[in-house]
Amino acid sequence: MSSIGRYVWAALIAGVLAHFAFVHFTPRVMMGVAIDRLGEGRTNFWRFGERVTPASRAIVRPSPDFAYSACPYDLSQGPVLIQVAPWDAYWSLSLYADNSDNFFTLNDREARFGGDVTLVRAGHAHPERASMVVESPSQRGIALVRRLAPRAEDFAAAAQVAREDVCASIEGLTHTS
Amino acid sequence: MGAMRGVNIGGVAAWAAAIVVGLVLGAASAWGALEFGRAGFADRIGQWSYSRAAGARSADPYTRAIIARDGLLALNAREARYFSLERDENGAPLRESCIYELMGADLAARWWSVTLYASDNFLAQNQDHAESVDSTRLRGAWRARVAPVRGEAANWLSSRSAGRGFVLMLRVYNADDGWRPSEAALPTLTTVSCAGDDS
Repeated sequence: MSSIGRYVWAALIAGVLAHFAFVHFTPRVMMGVAIDRLGEGRTNFWRFGERVTPASRAIVRPSPDFAYSACPYDLSQGPVLIQVAPWDAYWSLSLYADNSDNFFTLNDREARFGGDVTLVRAGHAHPERASMVVESPSQRGIALVRRLAPRAEDFAAAAQVAREDVCASIEGLTHTS
Repeated sequence: MGAMRGVNIGGVAAWAAAIVVGLVLGAASAWGALEFGRAGFADRIGQWSYSRAAGARSADPYTRAIIARDGLLALNAREARYFSLERDENGAPLRESCIYELMGADLAARWWSVTLYASDNFLAQNQDHAESVDSTRLRGAWRARVAPVRGEAANWLSSRSAGRGFVLMLRVYNADDGWRPSEAALPTLTTVSCAGDDS
């Protein structure tokens, strides 16, 4: 093989690897940025979002008709308890892995009296007496609650209800109680 | 000795250059695939594009990357379906200098909405408070004006400051069992007029 040919092959192999790495890591990088923006260094707490306006820049294509609460979760300290207070219109709890997959969703038709989920890392032991255990494929991710609130007065009410939501490490809850 | 070192350095530089060129071209081709290849990873239903794999664990890497860029934290299709409309009936990008009419009927779902996003995937930078219409406000056969000014329209999606290449996104939540998106069921966009000659 000529020396030029070797360089062409090297460029080709590097190009193919770079192509697939770019595609593979794009959602992971986007999720990492979202987790950092939402948590600002903290994890396992609910952050109730301001009403979506043209100034909202945290997540692409936000819906102005929803009141959002987001919890950047981290299972490195063990399971995380997620509780969602009921809302009198559509609401849902959705869980996203660190590659952006929506691996679990629960809505008000399935949980009329609110959501109560214990999130564990896939393959790890399930806590006893947990009502609903969900396995996360990744250590970090995002829990997101959507409450339908198209009008300003709906949004204000949703903000009140969202105060009752819980997102916390069970380890931390045990130590504080 | 000095000449040999010069040859080795030249060889290393050539290898490094080849690898750098490969990395740049590989990354550029991936960016191009995500930027210009969206249509290839979505279904076309009338004027709307629809990715049934949005949010799904079974999504292929390209679909996952495109959705992460254009709609991070999308719900999977069991909960919600997302449709995007980026071009008018003539295939031209949607633009602020035009007036459009969006017409539709109730969708067989619990809730649905149409929201206008600028080409950066965020709400257009205006204070018109007319970025969305939804099924709590529209009943039966409906029509909405998509334009930078409301005029006499009862329903309005403001494209003020949206520039060129804005997007309409249709969200359909908890669709009825058996509902299948079709051209007849989804809203239709028609161009009413365009100002200037930027079309």
